Amino acid sequence: MNAERGGGAGKLLILASAAASLTLVLAYLAAGGSSYSPVTVKDPCEPREWRDPGSLEEIAEQFSLSALDGAACELGVTRETLARALATPQSRERFTRRYGIDDAELGRAIRAGLMRAIDDAEAAGALPPFLAEPLRETVRQIPPEQAIELARNARSLLDDLQGFLDPAQDLLERFFR
Amino acid sequence: MTAPRPRLAALAVAVGLVLADSSIVVLALPDIYRELDTSVAGVTWVLISFNLVMALAAVPAAHLARRIGPGRAAAIGLAVFAGAGVACGLAAELGTLIAARCVQALGGAVAVTAVLELLPATVGSERRAVTIWAAAGATGAALGPAVGGVLTELVSWQSIFLIQAPIAIAAGVPVLAVARHEAETGIVAAELRSTGRPHLLANLALAMISAAIAAALFLLVLLLIEGWRLTPIGAAIVVTAMPLAALLGARIGPAAGGARARAAAGAILVSGGLGGLALLPKAEVALTLPPQLLVGVGLALVLSALTETALVGRAPQAIHGGWTISARHAGVAAGLIVLTPVFTADIAEQRRDAIDSGTAVVLDSRVDPLLKLELSQRIDERLEGERGRVPTVGPAFEPLPEDPEDRSEVLVLRDELQDQLDRAATHSFSPSFGLAALLGLLALVPIALARRVEL
Repeated sequence: MNAERGGGAGKLLILASAAASLTLVLAYLAAGGSSYSPVTVKDPCEPREWRDPGSLEEIAEQFSLSALDGAACELGVTRETLARALATPQSRERFTRRYGIDDAELGRAIRAGLMRAIDDAEAAGALPPFLAEPLRETVRQIPPEQAIELARNARSLLDDLQGFLDPAQDLLERFFR
Repeated sequence: MTAPRPRLAALAVAVGLVLADSSIVVLALPDIYRELDTSVAGVTWVLISFNLVMALAAVPAAHLARRIGPGRAAAIGLAVFAGAGVACGLAAELGTLIAARCVQALGGAVAVTAVLELLPATVGSERRAVTIWAAAGATGAALGPAVGGVLTELVSWQSIFLIQAPIAIAAGVPVLAVARHEAETGIVAAELRSTGRPHLLANLALAMISAAIAAALFLLVLLLIEGWRLTPIGAAIVVTAMPLAALLGARIGPAAGGARARAAAGAILVSGGLGGLALLPKAEVALTLPPQLLVGVGLALVLSALTETALVGRAPQAIHGGWTISARHAGVAAGLIVLTPVFTADIAEQRRDAIDSGTAVVLDSRVDPLLKLELSQRIDERLEGERGRVPTVGPAFEPLPEDPEDRSEVLVLRDELQDQLDRAATHSFSPSFGLAALLGLLALVPIALARRVEL
C-alpha cells in the first residue's frame, strides 16, 4: 500500500478501534447478548411437574396438559405443535398432512395421552388411587372414533376432560376435604 | 462545453445515483417481497442481480468508455440506466424486475466508470478526481437506504426506480456537451494506453469488507422491519445512523494516519459493530445505535483508504476505478449469496422456535383454559396471516377480559408472548451478523499482506 503517513497516529487509530470494538462486544455480552433467545420447549416424553392443583378446574387443566404431553410423545412431536394442531379443524388438517398421521393414529395417541395424564395425576397426588383405576378403564373403553372426535374439536376436548372428571366430583371433593 | 462547476455537480450526482442503487432498494425489499408474492431468497436477487452485473460489467464498461469516449459512454450509460429504472418501476413480477435491474446495472457500470475518466479534466487533478468520485459514491451508497425507505412508505417501492429516470437524464445533459465535443474532435483513440495490473490485495480487501457492510445493512433492515415490526420510514430513520457515523469517519479519516492504518482500523470497527449486532441483548432500537456507529465510522475509514490505495498513481483511472467498482459489488453480491441461505434457514428455524416457545408460554400460563384455547386460535391466525413476519400479538388479546384478575393474567401472558417472539426474531439474525463480522475480520488478511508485500 501507499507509504505510511504518521505511523504513531496510525497505531493509535488501530488500538482505539480495537478497544472500541472489544468494549462494545463485551458490554453486550455482559448485558446478556449471548442468552437472548426464546425458551426451548421441553421433551413431551419427559415427566413434567404438576403445578400445585388447588381446585378441580386446575386439576382438569393439568390433566389436559399431561394428556397433550402423552399424545405428543406418542406421535413424536412437541406438546406445543400438537396443541396448535388441535386448535382448529384447519390446523388439525395441516398437522395430519405435514406429519403423515392418520385419524386412527391420532385417536390412539390421544388415548395414550389420557392414560399418561391419569398416571401423572396419580403421581402428583391429585387423583386418589381408588379413582385412577376406574378412569383408566374408562379411557381403555373410549372408541378410537370418539378420541378422534375429541381431537377434531379442541374446545370439546377440554370440555370433555372436565366432563370426564365431573362424575367423580363429589368423590374428589370429599377426598380434598 | 458545459462550465466545470455544473458539470462537476452532474458527474457527482451520476456517480451517487448509480452507486446508491446497490443499496436503495434494501428498505423496499419487504414490500416487494409481499407485493410480488415471492420468497426472502427470491427477493434478495433484486439486490444481488444489480451488484453481480455491476461487478461483472465494471471493467469491460471502463474499456468501452475509453474506446468510444467517456462523454459518449457516460451519456449512453445514464440513458440506459434511466430507461431500465422505468422498467423496474413498471415491473409486475419478480423476473421482470430482476431482468430490468440487470440492464440498469449495465448502464450504471458504463456511466460510473466513464465519469471517473471525465472527472480529472473537470477538476484539474487526478487525486482530487479520485476523492470526489469516491466521496460521491460513498454518499450515494450511504444515503440510498434512507431515501428508499422514505419513498417506499410515502409513495411506493416503484417510485424508488421511477424517480431515478429524470435525475439520471438531468445528470446526463451536461455530459452530452462532452460527447458532442468528442464526436467533433475524435480525441479518444489516441489516448488508449496500456492499463497495468490492478491492485489485487486492496481490491480483495474491498470485496471482503463490502460483503460484510452489505450484510450489515441488509440484515439490519430485515431485523427492523420483519423482526421488530418498524415501518420503512422508521427503519430508514434508524439506519441513517450508519451514514451519519460515516460522515464523522470521513472527517477524522485523513488526519488519523496512513491508508494501511485507516484500512485496518476501519475493518476492525466494522467487525466490532457487526459483533455487537450479533450479540444484541434486547429487542430495542437504541441498542443498534452503538454498533451502527462503529460500522459507519469503520466503513468510511476502510472504503476510502482501500479505494485510494487501489487508484492513486495508477492509470488509466477508469480501468482501475472499474476494478474497485467490480470488487465492491462482487463483495456485496457474494456476501448476500453466502449469507442469504444461512439467514433464511435460521429465520425459518427460529420462526418455528418462536411459535413453539410462544405456545409453551400460552399453555403454561395461568389464564382460564378455555380462554387459552381461544387465544391459541387467534394467535395462530395472526401467525398465518403475517407470512413469515413476526407479528404483533397485542390484537389477538383484544378484547381483554373484564374480570380484573383474568385481565392482569392475560396482560402478563401477552407481554411474555411478545417477549418470546422478539427474542426469537432477534436471535435468528445473530449467526448471520456473526458470520459478517468474521468476513470483516478476514479483510485484515489482505490488508496485512499488502503491507508485507510492499514494504
